[in-house]
Amino acid sequence: MEFTAYQIITPLAGFIAIAYAWNLVFRQKKTIWEAILWTVFWGSIIAIAVYPESLDYLSKFTGIKDRENAVLVTTLAVVLFIVFYLIVRIEALEQRQTRVIRKLALKDLDNQSGKN
Amino acid sequence: MRIAAVIPAYNEGKRVGNVVEEAKKFVDYVIVVDDGSTDDTADIAKHSGAIVLRHIENCGAGAATMTGIDAARELGVDAIVTLDADEQHSPDDIPALLEPIKADTADIAFANRFGQRNNIPFIRRLANGIGNLITFAATGKWVKDSQCGFKVFGPKAVAQVDLRMSGYEFCTEIVREAAQHRWRTAEIPAKVLYSEYTLAKGQSFANGIRTALKILLRSFLR
Repeated sequence: MEFTAYQIITPLAGFIAIAYAWNLVFRQKKTIWEAILWTVFWGSIIAIAVYPESLDYLSKFTGIKDRENAVLVTTLAVVLFIVFYLIVRIEALEQRQTRVIRKLALKDLDNQSGKN
Repeated sequence: MRIAAVIPAYNEGKRVGNVVEEAKKFVDYVIVVDDGSTDDTADIAKHSGAIVLRHIENCGAGAATMTGIDAARELGVDAIVTLDADEQHSPDDIPALLEPIKADTADIAFANRFGQRNNIPFIRRLANGIGNLITFAATGKWVKDSQCGFKVFGPKAVAQVDLRMSGYEFCTEIVREAAQHRWRTAEIPAKVLYSEYTLAKGQSFANGIRTALKILLRSFLR
């Protein structure tokens, strides 16, 4: 069985991602459950990379066989990725704003803590 | 054991006073976090004897709860009770929730509104069931009433809890924290007092979907 560069690089990246997820579990930054979900996700990508014929059924199901359909699906995937990236950035900005508001609120604590 | 009650409040001027008065009987400090209210919530809570912290903008129940927890930590408390400001939870249940914490058999005690006969509308039961399932999918831990804001954090949980989710998703995040830090948990049956007001105030279906998506997104991104 001959492997293409893609079939070597993708599993390597996948294994690194899985190892990183379990490393986070040992450092108590990720739960075991989240690491399992992450492992299933990257495991599927590795499986598809090593056994691309496993996607044949998808081709039959979706009808994506020719080049035009493939371009359309790829464009949609890129647009979805951009939307996903923007959601993540907005989340990060919201969290930063919340941290500022919370810090301002906590400044009042010293003035009141003796009252109760 | 020094205990603080943390009450996140948004436009609850008509109800927060009673909740503070009742909670004061069971704890050393009552901390109300006014989450950007446009009514007199902060003034009424202060007159009732609470320590009041104000968010200058509405950030959500999760952010307000975490502000209260941070304040309680600065006060050096050993346990924190969180409860809603809308009179939905009965402060009379605080001693029962504190029991496993005082006996050192649990690090966090969850109130369980379904653990005793409560008049809970079917739609609420359904919404809470879905919330429990999503929480289980995201955390791998089953809690019978994961979406209830009434809880008690023991010393270990007080030291370790770190909520990053601002909105109603924070209830699921607390379950995640319990799973991650391997807190011992207890689930105590508690009363729930639904009124027309609290029923009307509940989350909309669209808001519930948004909350669920946020939970799944965040648990995947961590």
